[in-house]
Amino acid sequence: MPDLRSTSNRRLKMLYALIFCSFLGLAAGLYFFQIMHSDRYTHLASNNRLRMIRFPPVRGELFDRHGTPLAVNVTTFDIMGYPLDIERENMVETLAALLSRHGIPATGEELGASLKKQYGPPYRVVRIVGNITLSQMADLVADPEFPQQLFPIPVWRRTYPAGSLAANVTGFVGEISEQELRTLSDSGYIGGDLIGKGGVERQHEAMLRGTPGEEYVEVDARGRKVKNLSVKQPGRGVDLLLSLDLGAQRLAVDLMKDYKGAIIVMDVKTGEVLVSYSSPSFDNNLLAWGVSSKEWDALVRDPANPMMDRTISGAYPPASTFKVLTALAALEEKVVNTSTTFRCSGSFKLGPRTFRCWRRSGHGSVNLLSALQNSCDVYFYQVGLKLGIDKLMEWGDLFELGRPTGIDLPGEVSGTIAGPEWKQKRLKEKWYLGDTVNYSIGQGFLLMTPIQIARMYAAIANGGILVQPHFFSTLGQNSVTLPVSKKNLEVIQKGLDYVVRRGTGRHAASFGVTVAGKTGTAQNAHGDDHALFAGYAPAKDPKYVAVAMIEAGLHGGSIASPMVGEILSYLLVPESRGR
Amino acid sequence: MEERRPPLRESLASLDKLQLVAVLALYLLGMLSIYSAGAGRALRGGELALRQGIWGVLSICAFLVVLHIGYERFFSLAYRIYAGALVLLLGVIVLGLTVKGAQSWFNLGFFRLQPAEFGKVALALVLGKHLSRFPPNDGPSFVGGLLLAAASGVLVLLQPDAGSALVYGIIAFAAIVVAGAPRKYSTGLILGGAALVPFAWFFLKDYQKLRILVFIDPWRDPLGAGYNVIQSRIAIGSGGLFGKGYMNGLQSKLRFLPEPHTDFIFSVFSEEFGFVGALLVLLLFGLLFWRMLEAGLRSKDIRAKILVAGIAAWMWFQVVESIGMSIGLLPITGLPLPLMSYGGSSLLALSIAFALIQSVYISTLKSYE
Repeated sequence: MPDLRSTSNRRLKMLYALIFCSFLGLAAGLYFFQIMHSDRYTHLASNNRLRMIRFPPVRGELFDRHGTPLAVNVTTFDIMGYPLDIERENMVETLAALLSRHGIPATGEELGASLKKQYGPPYRVVRIVGNITLSQMADLVADPEFPQQLFPIPVWRRTYPAGSLAANVTGFVGEISEQELRTLSDSGYIGGDLIGKGGVERQHEAMLRGTPGEEYVEVDARGRKVKNLSVKQPGRGVDLLLSLDLGAQRLAVDLMKDYKGAIIVMDVKTGEVLVSYSSPSFDNNLLAWGVSSKEWDALVRDPANPMMDRTISGAYPPASTFKVLTALAALEEKVVNTSTTFRCSGSFKLGPRTFRCWRRSGHGSVNLLSALQNSCDVYFYQVGLKLGIDKLMEWGDLFELGRPTGIDLPGEVSGTIAGPEWKQKRLKEKWYLGDTVNYSIGQGFLLMTPIQIARMYAAIANGGILVQPHFFSTLGQNSVTLPVSKKNLEVIQKGLDYVVRRGTGRHAASFGVTVAGKTGTAQNAHGDDHALFAGYAPAKDPKYVAVAMIEAGLHGGSIASPMVGEILSYLLVPESRGR
Repeated sequence: MEERRPPLRESLASLDKLQLVAVLALYLLGMLSIYSAGAGRALRGGELALRQGIWGVLSICAFLVVLHIGYERFFSLAYRIYAGALVLLLGVIVLGLTVKGAQSWFNLGFFRLQPAEFGKVALALVLGKHLSRFPPNDGPSFVGGLLLAAASGVLVLLQPDAGSALVYGIIAFAAIVVAGAPRKYSTGLILGGAALVPFAWFFLKDYQKLRILVFIDPWRDPLGAGYNVIQSRIAIGSGGLFGKGYMNGLQSKLRFLPEPHTDFIFSVFSEEFGFVGALLVLLLFGLLFWRMLEAGLRSKDIRAKILVAGIAAWMWFQVVESIGMSIGLLPITGLPLPLMSYGGSSLLALSIAFALIQSVYISTLKSYE
């Protein structure tokens, strides 16, 4: 089709002409801007007159369940300036000298480094110095040498009245990092903004944050305001009333003394957390007001790990506290009933291996209730073997072990319900029956966080409902009803009652409240055994569950159980306070 | 019609050298500007330029592979290639739905792949094949060709990427015109397109409407949407005749310019190299278009003519749009400036397109009986 070819060619040439013409148009446009009006745009470029002042939002405050403040704002002043002004003259050095003269330590280098961190277009005002008190500020502006291009603006600073008492819960705020800026750039953060760095401050950042205010101004060449272009007032964040009970929390801190570990108290029906203390703690006020990198390093590298919230990030062997799950599974799977008895001679032989009971002389003939009461290991070895590892893991999974509880704090770990598959993968070893034996008393590879233990005991106390632990209730709390019979739960509850009444947990009973619970002593490969007690009260109509995990505390019965007893009594028997 | 492939060395020897020079020169000017644009941002210029360099190497490999295979083979697979492109376009939409929030790319670990860029080549290819087999002389073939093109255009629009969808429309229009559609059809298309504009307005997102409104009057919102246009114009205008010199562009260094390494790369370049530099870029693009169209004109193969028209129209539109928006003569669409803007998928797709056109050019050098 020769004529089609010539048509196509003609039209290709038309495209050619179109391209040529459009390029001429572009060249004309460029000529117009770059040659004819070059002066005007050069002038505009050198006088970019736009300035923006940003007013940081007022952050929502945190309170405990009785309205006691946990995180509040105080007014301080920031000295602000525009990057163009600051660069033009040697303002940083001048200001540093001025500040030192008025007793505020500062060097030009430090100020320069902090400025460098606040990336942003030059029309946006930046903070040169922060945390100036009202009297200091009045003193400074009265000095005739105070650079006129700089100006103070009031800002809110965060303080934590409870400080280290609840640092793991409240967390702290800090200046947004470059990496956070990059990932959050769509949410309107800019360099220099404060952002929640841990705990509730971080978890509920979106609610607490508020909205920044902005004021655009046109300025003259000296940086003085000519007129306002637009103003947007900052919006206050939401105040949060947390479920924490600061009084009980303070008691937990006292009880913990110098031990390392965690104490947690939770409402068995709602999942509200009243006490959550991780020891050792840290002073979040220091962090919120800015620490040097040296101080920060010291905190992070501290072998006692004060920045780790042991209630949710510490994974420990649940030890004998796990026996309730073995017992419940055995009843539910009809492997044993309440009259099934085993003989405990103080040890149990499986093939060539011998597994000891903690009581060398043995418990004699034991049934489920007496086995719980006296924490008889041999009884649970045999029940565990009859159940088998698959069933044990199935029940662990049902109680959502090995998964985070979803508590509203960042950094929760999932623990592990390590079974045969896990062992094969991690240790490249087969699962032996001996592993099942250890598993049934909560030793071996199994790891749980204190919050997971508390949640498991809450489910036993409240009739089989797996609640959602939380500090601040948002809509859609999801609790799971477990498929367990009331009758079997009552058996376990009775066993836990016996533990405190006349078994290993007697020390929890002497505080005027009826506690039911279970002791535990977790083998620790790195030192002394960890002491554990998980219990709830009142035993008849449970309201709160408490878990105490004391690292290297040796015996759950003597160390951990009185802590749980005393704190539960504080909450349930107000008359007992201050004894 | 089995043809023996010429060895790669022979193909390389008979490449259109002028076209090659134009492409490489534009790519290198782009690299210079990307490095400069990034320098204002916490020294990320080196990192950006390095990545663009890696994409350049990948693009050269792709160019060689496509050249070796030859454009005829691509035509014989055109429908399948197009179908593949449609699947990928659908894929990003589905992915966008599942990960919440629209996106136009696949994340392949260390880089992102944008199917919309490769779809442009596939569209030009399939239209070349289809429209030469069923010339759009009569109603049914004309509509058939339109529907074929609409399949990919609509998917891109759904991403949603209105700017790229516009490019798809331009490719289809150029291909249909060069395939010999009667004048009444092409004018009909233009009129139909114009009639759709008021309707399209309702489908635009708020930010897109704002872009068009501030195009009409940038001072309408000097701190928001109009800000980009104003600052870009200031960058270009203050460049003057010879520019402020390489790495001296204050508009980009002081971060007045938004998106300097992608959308506004031309502003970065012409602030530093002035009117003279801007004209050089226009001349290089002119040289490139001349050589591309020349290959189409010389070829006896209608398919190749349509292919060249589609590719040339695509690139032309992006060049004019990108430069036009940076001096505020056209609304902002966010389309990259071919060869110069930072972006791997765009570069890779372009190098495939150039390889196809070079392959067409080489085929015209063969003597025919």
